[in-house]
Amino acid sequence: MVTSRIGAWLTAARRSLTSTVGLLLELLGIGPDVDPHTRVTFRAIADAVVPETPALAEEIGPEHVAGGLAIDLDEFAITYVDDGFQFGLPHLGPQGNIPIADPIAHVLDAAALTLVERGDNEAEPSLDRALSLLGPDDPSAAKTEDAVGPFAKLSRRDRLRAIAILDEFEVEFTPTDHDLLELDAGLVGQLVVGFMEMIYYSEWQGYDEFTQPPSRREHPNDPAAVQSWRQTGFPGFANGYAALRGYVGTADGPLGDGDAWTTIDESTGVAIRREPGSFRENEYDTSGYEEPFPVESG
Amino acid sequence: MVENAYDAVVVGAGGDGPVTAWKLAEAGLSVLVLEAGPFHGNEQWPNPHEEPGGEASSSVEDLSGDLLDEQFTTRELEMITNLVFGPADHERGFWFRKFPGDGAILQCAGVGGTTLHYTGCHPRAYPASIDEQGHWPIEYADLVPYYREVEEMCEVAPAPVTAKEELFFRGAEAAGWDLIEDLNVTEPGYRPQPNAIRQPDEKLHVDGDYDGEFTYPDVEGDTLALGNIAGNPHPRGAPFEEKAKRASNVSFVPAALRTDNVTIRPNAFVTDVLTETPRGDTPTATGVEFRDTWSGATERVDAEVVVLAAGAIETPRLWLNADLPENDWVGRGLTIHFGDNVMGLWDGDDLEETIGKPTVDQHEGQDIAARLDYPGVGMLQTVGTAPGIGAILGFGASASGFAFQNDPADAPWDTMGRLAGSDLKRLLSDYRRMLQVLVVSDDRPHQRNGVSVAPGASDEHGPIPIVNYEPSEGDRKRRDELAETAAEILREAGASHVHRSDSPPTALHVHSTMRMGKVVDEACEAYDVDRLFVADHSALANGVGGANPTNTGQALAARTGEKIVERHF
Repeated sequence: MVTSRIGAWLTAARRSLTSTVGLLLELLGIGPDVDPHTRVTFRAIADAVVPETPALAEEIGPEHVAGGLAIDLDEFAITYVDDGFQFGLPHLGPQGNIPIADPIAHVLDAAALTLVERGDNEAEPSLDRALSLLGPDDPSAAKTEDAVGPFAKLSRRDRLRAIAILDEFEVEFTPTDHDLLELDAGLVGQLVVGFMEMIYYSEWQGYDEFTQPPSRREHPNDPAAVQSWRQTGFPGFANGYAALRGYVGTADGPLGDGDAWTTIDESTGVAIRREPGSFRENEYDTSGYEEPFPVESG
Repeated sequence: MVENAYDAVVVGAGGDGPVTAWKLAEAGLSVLVLEAGPFHGNEQWPNPHEEPGGEASSSVEDLSGDLLDEQFTTRELEMITNLVFGPADHERGFWFRKFPGDGAILQCAGVGGTTLHYTGCHPRAYPASIDEQGHWPIEYADLVPYYREVEEMCEVAPAPVTAKEELFFRGAEAAGWDLIEDLNVTEPGYRPQPNAIRQPDEKLHVDGDYDGEFTYPDVEGDTLALGNIAGNPHPRGAPFEEKAKRASNVSFVPAALRTDNVTIRPNAFVTDVLTETPRGDTPTATGVEFRDTWSGATERVDAEVVVLAAGAIETPRLWLNADLPENDWVGRGLTIHFGDNVMGLWDGDDLEETIGKPTVDQHEGQDIAARLDYPGVGMLQTVGTAPGIGAILGFGASASGFAFQNDPADAPWDTMGRLAGSDLKRLLSDYRRMLQVLVVSDDRPHQRNGVSVAPGASDEHGPIPIVNYEPSEGDRKRRDELAETAAEILREAGASHVHRSDSPPTALHVHSTMRMGKVVDEACEAYDVDRLFVADHSALANGVGGANPTNTGQALAARTGEKIVERHF
């Protein structure tokens, strides 16, 4: 009992020390403030992956115009990737996480430079284009100019082309027959395109504050609160649906029973039946097995 | 309260560890299960991601359906963030590992492990993958009694049909495939998924005009809402053991606790395997060292037998980081069912004709409930997802750049690669008229692929897993064959647009890194360390033909539990 009380005290002491260290780091400028270059680069990503699309209004409806920047997707993406991985400093809490948004932004700049060097860009890079990504709450254009990197200056399509260049950076190192070390910069592309899309189309926008502890997160579960749900027609999360059609099976087979609710194929007798069944514990014989494709030894 | 010594310590309370723990405890042994992640739905940890909570749980009375309802919101981004392999503390990011290629590893931490977000799919291995591919030292017939036992515990049954399954079955039938009605599959054909999810309440039939609540006790069994990938608590209001999805936390954990011989300690990351070498050269396992993920405190526990069940990435990592003998196959031979995604989109009028309504509504029904089996090649399965997961799986990640850079003129799909911009928004505006097919290939074990560690790249638990994977030519051909088959089925079902992702090597199913016959013997005891067993998917000798591996992993873990008792107690 005494030992557990001492243990609890030590834990509390360590935690308060941790938050003091955290405060110091913030005062020294190593804190959650987002670097302006990172901010404008992530805006450029969000704007290329889920852009504002006025042309879709006539084609599929006005609700499809707004894009990621309208809901600060860039800001959340920075928080999400910076909080996403940690490298073994549990007592630092969130400050033990590895901030990777800054390095990602620099990698994208390198890819943009390669694109332009090759002359594969369709439009000239433009500082004004990058500055137009700034929001009303951002520092003025004059203050941000220096922070704009090559990636943010590209057209939307060229930004995607630059991301695709990263797919080419693959290293494979095989010192012996059974050793392999491969590294693939395409992972950056999966992060900035794949994660951006997953976040945008998920429930994320509906939270008051996603970074709250799980027990204190509120979500209205209503398309009115989630722009992407209005664009996909996703109705929100439900406890259930009366959507049962039955069980696929044949009249004399074990999988389903009862009346046919609908027929899949007249000639084979496959139908959707009303009642559930079970699989057959069958005899099996694999002696005729042949590999459909060549097999390497391993 | 955790003691200093047990008959057996099991490292990992994922899909398989609780199965072995249950077997050992049924035989009367005292068992400690150490789990790196949190314990959801347990009264000892009312807020498992916010505070350390209790120390351990030894009683089935601790399990709470209400807490599971509260903690498993089924909201996709939140639940992925909560469940994916990382510490319980919500303020800290995922545990770092080097991913294979430009893909990712999707595993969960927590009691239940990756079965927390598996979709309940519980088919057996293809018999030929065990009896004919030359990797396994035991026969398929050896596993059959254990399959039966596991299927009974998990209540495996043919999955129900909603609109999306009917659409797939119509496509598969029109493409000339046969319906399979068997458990042991030797020929290609389509089937309902053998799912470890209770069948739905019959009042949920579309003809029944049901307009009540979808909560317990008004409805029992499956409620036909998506949620398996995001931790399925349905039906809400049900006691813990009445939840429809029989993930290992709902099936085997209560059974293990009910023996009164099992203690589960979550938030405990095992960092070392302790050994003694009393005679000769072969060390004997005597216990483990573990670290509390909240306090950082390190503890040791002694055991007569140590069972590694930390999964196919962490089990070899632990071996490599512990002072255990070298073996050329530890960590090697990784198979991940090298996968892909093929998406079909339909016009409303065509759907009306095929399935009697203008939408597929992939958010209704079980996540994965229809499949095509293809022994020697792999499998296909339909996947219903909420739009966020659907976007990243179907459109956001690709190994072949953006769709606008690819010319699919001669291919059976209309577009291939990542989609972004207005192309993406246009396609996803049809979310309710699309159906995704997951391609799962029978990739084979190659010694170059797997898990290694390097001294420089460490976290608080030692050198991190460095996962490398490069499919072979044969693996690629099997995957291409399946992608083409998927495209044909979707077309036959009337899809007006087919999109192939060409996905990067994403590890959803992870196996064969501590292979039976190479690292462990026929009882899954290590050749090089006495009293050290492996009871997780890493002991599988190959990827079981491309069938979902949970059933086989659990069947083998049950068998291993019996072998341990036979050999050492």
